[in-house]
Amino acid sequence: MLVAKNLSKSYKEVKALTDVTLNIQKGELYGMLGPNGAGKTTTISILSSLLKPDNGKIFYEEKSLYQNLSECKKLIGVVPQEIALYEDLTASENLKFWGTMYGIKGQQLQNKSDELLEFLGLADRKNHKIKTYSGGMKRRINIAAALLHDPKIVFMDEPTVGIDPQSRNLIFEVIEELHSRGLTMIYTTHYMEEAERLCDRIGIIDEGRIIAEGSLDELKANSSIKEEIHLKYSNPNKNGLEQLTDRYNGQLLINDDHLILSSSQANAELPELIQLCSQSKLLLDKIDIRSLSLESIFLELTGKSLRD
Amino acid sequence: MFTIALKDIKQYFKDKTAVFLSLLLPIALITIFALMYGGIGKSEKSRPINLLFTDQDKTNLSQEVFSTLDAEEGLKLEIKSYDEAETLIKKGKRTAVLVLYKGFQDSVETGKKIPMELFYDEAKEIEMGLLQQALWSNLFGVTMKKGIKGKVNTWIKDKNPDLSNSEIEDIQAQVAEQFEGFNNSGEQSEIEENSELPMTALVGEKKNGNLGLVQAIAGIAIMMLLFSVSASGASLLKEKEDGTFRRLLIAPVSPSGILYGKMLSTLFMAVLQLSVMFLYSWLVLGLDIFINLPALILMILCAAIACSSFGIFMASVCKSRKQVESLSTLIILVISAIGGSMMPLFFMPAIMKKLAVISVNYWAMEGFFDIFWRQLPLIDILPKMIILLGITAVLTSISVISFRRNLLKMV
Repeated sequence: MLVAKNLSKSYKEVKALTDVTLNIQKGELYGMLGPNGAGKTTTISILSSLLKPDNGKIFYEEKSLYQNLSECKKLIGVVPQEIALYEDLTASENLKFWGTMYGIKGQQLQNKSDELLEFLGLADRKNHKIKTYSGGMKRRINIAAALLHDPKIVFMDEPTVGIDPQSRNLIFEVIEELHSRGLTMIYTTHYMEEAERLCDRIGIIDEGRIIAEGSLDELKANSSIKEEIHLKYSNPNKNGLEQLTDRYNGQLLINDDHLILSSSQANAELPELIQLCSQSKLLLDKIDIRSLSLESIFLELTGKSLRD
Repeated sequence: MFTIALKDIKQYFKDKTAVFLSLLLPIALITIFALMYGGIGKSEKSRPINLLFTDQDKTNLSQEVFSTLDAEEGLKLEIKSYDEAETLIKKGKRTAVLVLYKGFQDSVETGKKIPMELFYDEAKEIEMGLLQQALWSNLFGVTMKKGIKGKVNTWIKDKNPDLSNSEIEDIQAQVAEQFEGFNNSGEQSEIEENSELPMTALVGEKKNGNLGLVQAIAGIAIMMLLFSVSASGASLLKEKEDGTFRRLLIAPVSPSGILYGKMLSTLFMAVLQLSVMFLYSWLVLGLDIFINLPALILMILCAAIACSSFGIFMASVCKSRKQVESLSTLIILVISAIGGSMMPLFFMPAIMKKLAVISVNYWAMEGFFDIFWRQLPLIDILPKMIILLGITAVLTSISVISFRRNLLKMV
């Protein structure tokens, strides 16, 4: 469906993308996982023709993007990270405008607009101005505006940013439904849970490079880490945490009230860890050994947290 | 392009308060300025000029001069001593004093040099110009008649010493009849008719014309229009800030199409605003907009196109809405000032009049003056329209280049 070869892009001295290559199959939901500033949005911008790469080639259904720009643009739908809608127009007016921009008119546009509003659970609010919508509702209309022209591939650039868990779940359901209908999608996120839940394949991107790629199982299989030790502590002892960080450099993730140690042999490493916690005067509430997550894989690959 | 324009127009009408204000504000300003300038070109409604009058002769003739001048609608006379008058003028409270010195009547009747003098404030040039017009015709009307009668009397006595008093009185009565006849019947005597200097205004008030009203409407309408189109042009930058611009660029539409779409919607709003201004001026302020309707429609279109291109130009060269707001306010105020929107150009020094030609306000206003004041045929107004279209072409070309250089790089 989409082949991108050796995409590179620089902004003056800063290299935003370096040799990014993607091969997205028809009907695939491809996740692009990386921290903020990793190059996800730049990749989407280049793939959707908004930016020109310094180097590289892009093909949609084997047609070069730049040689068939108008044709390829109709194959693409983009759900931007921001709410790219007209706040003072109603949902219905917004959808009609964006549909018309893609050449859909009349009854066809009306039917498609109504169908999408129904699908997204917003049919009863279609004549309300966007500015009266909640964040989650706006996100759903933002998705609808990208689907009006029946694109063959949809880019979703962090479509759940800034919304409540309930709205996020609603959007996940929408994406899963679209996936089940066979729509090809590229989904960018910095939430590993989203990538784990939704994506067939995941590309881990950092500092403008794809550093690992594959299904979740493939990524886990290729990692030297096999398990995670989760320790919940009750006293956030700064000195103690620093001692642990020094000991487990690049293996340890510290969150609000717990720490995660990536481990190839959790059972063997656990006694030493407990002893060190005791020496560091960290009072432990709970110890848990879990299977490997994307967070730990990312830590292993980059030496930093996804949320850094 | 049309889809974008229609969307913008729909958005414009959604904000009813903004629509109301965008029309109400110019209407309010036009009304205020029309009231301020309304007197210009309408002498019958102009405020009378104060003239101080010092009568040191205190004779029948000096009283007659006072009465004649006081009856003049354009003058308001106040009797003051010379010292009082001098003080008032020096303090800037009055413009001039007419002093009739002792011996005024005798000198007039004997045909000698008339002892009178006008003292005035040199700084009040415009009022003095108007004062002179009102003063000379009335003052010399009185003194000339008396002077001629005196000269005739002296001449008769010198040349005909044998005539009896009754015969001299008959001749004087005949001469007097010539002058009195002029006063009573309104017909001019042969002498006066021959000595009168004919004056014809080449440019002046015609039927339904009012320089002040045209100045107020054209000046303010164009200035306010420039503010409106700048705000409308800034919507391009709002699209960028809101993210909808990126989405537009991803859609199968050319970047130039987006720009022209914006220009089209701005043009629609500009034509609407100007049309409402002129309709209001017709209905409320009494401007005869049907005097040359085809020219007015074309002029509105040309002015709206030129102003719209200014709005898009501002949006294309600026990088944020804040920049558009502050820079366009500055530019609009400057070009409105030098273009004559704020103040009639004839008040300005020569250098400012030369600078005015760089302003879109100037050409648009000149066009409207041609229609309403000079009442020129369409063919004579066309050059101004062509210049406005030329300004549009230049600004639009720069906008397209800047749009590609600035805005497209900012996505």
